[in-house]
Amino acid sequence: MEKADRASGLFWLVFSLFVTYKSYKLGLGILHQPGPGFLFFWTGIVTAILSLIIIVMSLRNRPPEETAGSDFGSWKVAKIVPVLISLFVYVLFMEWLGFLIVTLLLFIFLLGVIEKKRWWFAVLVSLLITTLTYMVFEVALQSQLPKGLLEFLRF
Amino acid sequence: MAEVLQNVGYGFQVALQPLNLMYCFIGVLIGTLVGVLPGLGPAAAIALLLPTTFKVNPVSATIMLAGIYYGAMYGGSTTSILVNIPGEAASVVTCLDGYQMAQKGRAGPALGIAAFGSFIAGTFAVIALTCVGPFLSNLALKFGPPEYFSLMIVGITVLTYLSSGSMVKALLMAGVGLILSGVGMDTISGQYRFTFNIQSLLNGVGVVPVAMGLFGISEVLLNLETEIKREILTTRVRNLFPTLKDWAVSIWSIIRGSILGFFLGILPGGGAVIASFASYAIEKKVSKHPEEFGKGAIQGVAGPEAANNAGAGGSFIPLLTLGIPANPVMAILLGALMIHGLQPGPLLMKDAPDLFWGTIVSMYIGNGMLLVLNLPLIPMWVKVLKVPYYLLYPLILLFCLIGAYSLSNSVADVIAMLIFGILGFLMKRFRYEGAPLILALVLGQKLETNLRRSLIMARGDFSIFISRPISLGFLITAALLLLIPIITQRRKLSSLRER
Repeated sequence: MEKADRASGLFWLVFSLFVTYKSYKLGLGILHQPGPGFLFFWTGIVTAILSLIIIVMSLRNRPPEETAGSDFGSWKVAKIVPVLISLFVYVLFMEWLGFLIVTLLLFIFLLGVIEKKRWWFAVLVSLLITTLTYMVFEVALQSQLPKGLLEFLRF
Repeated sequence: MAEVLQNVGYGFQVALQPLNLMYCFIGVLIGTLVGVLPGLGPAAAIALLLPTTFKVNPVSATIMLAGIYYGAMYGGSTTSILVNIPGEAASVVTCLDGYQMAQKGRAGPALGIAAFGSFIAGTFAVIALTCVGPFLSNLALKFGPPEYFSLMIVGITVLTYLSSGSMVKALLMAGVGLILSGVGMDTISGQYRFTFNIQSLLNGVGVVPVAMGLFGISEVLLNLETEIKREILTTRVRNLFPTLKDWAVSIWSIIRGSILGFFLGILPGGGAVIASFASYAIEKKVSKHPEEFGKGAIQGVAGPEAANNAGAGGSFIPLLTLGIPANPVMAILLGALMIHGLQPGPLLMKDAPDLFWGTIVSMYIGNGMLLVLNLPLIPMWVKVLKVPYYLLYPLILLFCLIGAYSLSNSVADVIAMLIFGILGFLMKRFRYEGAPLILALVLGQKLETNLRRSLIMARGDFSIFISRPISLGFLITAALLLLIPIITQRRKLSSLRER
């Protein structure tokens, strides 16, 4: 946990200093007419101090109860990374391909590739879920989901 | 008193309209489902269903969203008792004795007392809400910018104080939330802040995509890492009605839990989660047989379940009367009301009495619906639990994607949600809590405006915050929470939670 705390503390320290600098540039104003950067300048300073406390504590304390499973070593990203990439790809093509196509492809990918289910099962379930969610959100709740390539079908 | 009765009567007129009854039913049904399903809490559920209410009138929408919240409190207990996995945070403590009861073949009475206790507590909270609400609204009308500023500081401090992990990290997260609330146009000077010429940041960071990311997407990512193992009780659940003996030992736990839960719920930063832990601690302390706790004591189920429902009811008070959300769920509800063009606060009762009284009374009706819904449908909820996670998580992800897109039909919100999903996952891994961030993000703009208005009023003199008694009271509370070395108490609480 110490390593993780040091890294996260450092991240928030840099973030806080950046916010403090940007807020200063925005203008602090004067006390009886505070400017747009006033609150965030001081918030940045406070968060910078808190980040420093986290870093210092990570250097000094080694609480035994906080060691389990939280260091970088225990991360299992084999599933998370491809799922996240598929979600970003989904967003990227959502408006161009349309809800029906991207959702179908996303589900086939998640069930067939990530979860390694049989292909016929993945395709069948994906078709079913895509149709059902479309009926609920687009037809019943009129969510105006993107139609994309299937715009011409007008359903 | 006559006025209160008149208002409640009006509330019944609103809540009993067929459309509102239907939305109330949908809300509690979805809420129970969300409560039953691990990996999807009420905050994420409300956030992702919010866009579906845009075409509905604000009263029906609020009734449904409120139903999801208190419905989840009911549903959460089912998974705690049958599977030893809390459906949501407020049911964590129910696992301790509920699951033990189930293992001893007493799953029925455990589920029964949880449902009845929840009903009694929920009803108590609604009645108390009806009585306290108008009083607090009138009091809040006397609040000026310094009082509002100090109250919000208390709210954020209480939430950070009650957070289960490091208080330094919780405070840091509140600071980050505050900074995020500054993104977009400054309402006083008209200047753009922290937008970096990105078009989608001009309107600020939306609460709903952030909440969906922090509570929905991140939870799925975390569960992908650690496969959820579920051992569902295979024996049939029988005798849902607790025996007279069960009632005799539980009734005082339910009463204590209701009162405690309600008052902890009112407290900004408090709410159902802390209420359930506090109730368990008290029940163990007052019991003649504390050694039975953790081994299937029915009081250990009845008290916390009553407390978390009363807490859920109580947490509506600061939102509806002061416009201050007590917890992340209320923060999202505040965002929802604002999207519907309503400004929660002391004037809500006068400006939108149908919404105020309609919502309160609908909670009363909803509690009745939940009782009917929960007991006979328990076998169905158990079946829902058997939905494999490989099917469940793509569905949660899809609902989040649809929900975020429907906010303003733009992919920018979806991207924001995914980014905060990754951030939320990292925060969980690094043991930072999302709740203070959300609360500060929602309160940030109001907090800044009230701070600046106060300073303008006092010509830059900070003593305005301590020269006004109500504001001073709030600030002293916040200072006490931050300064007094109560670490021992917090440690006790943390250790209890860990257990």
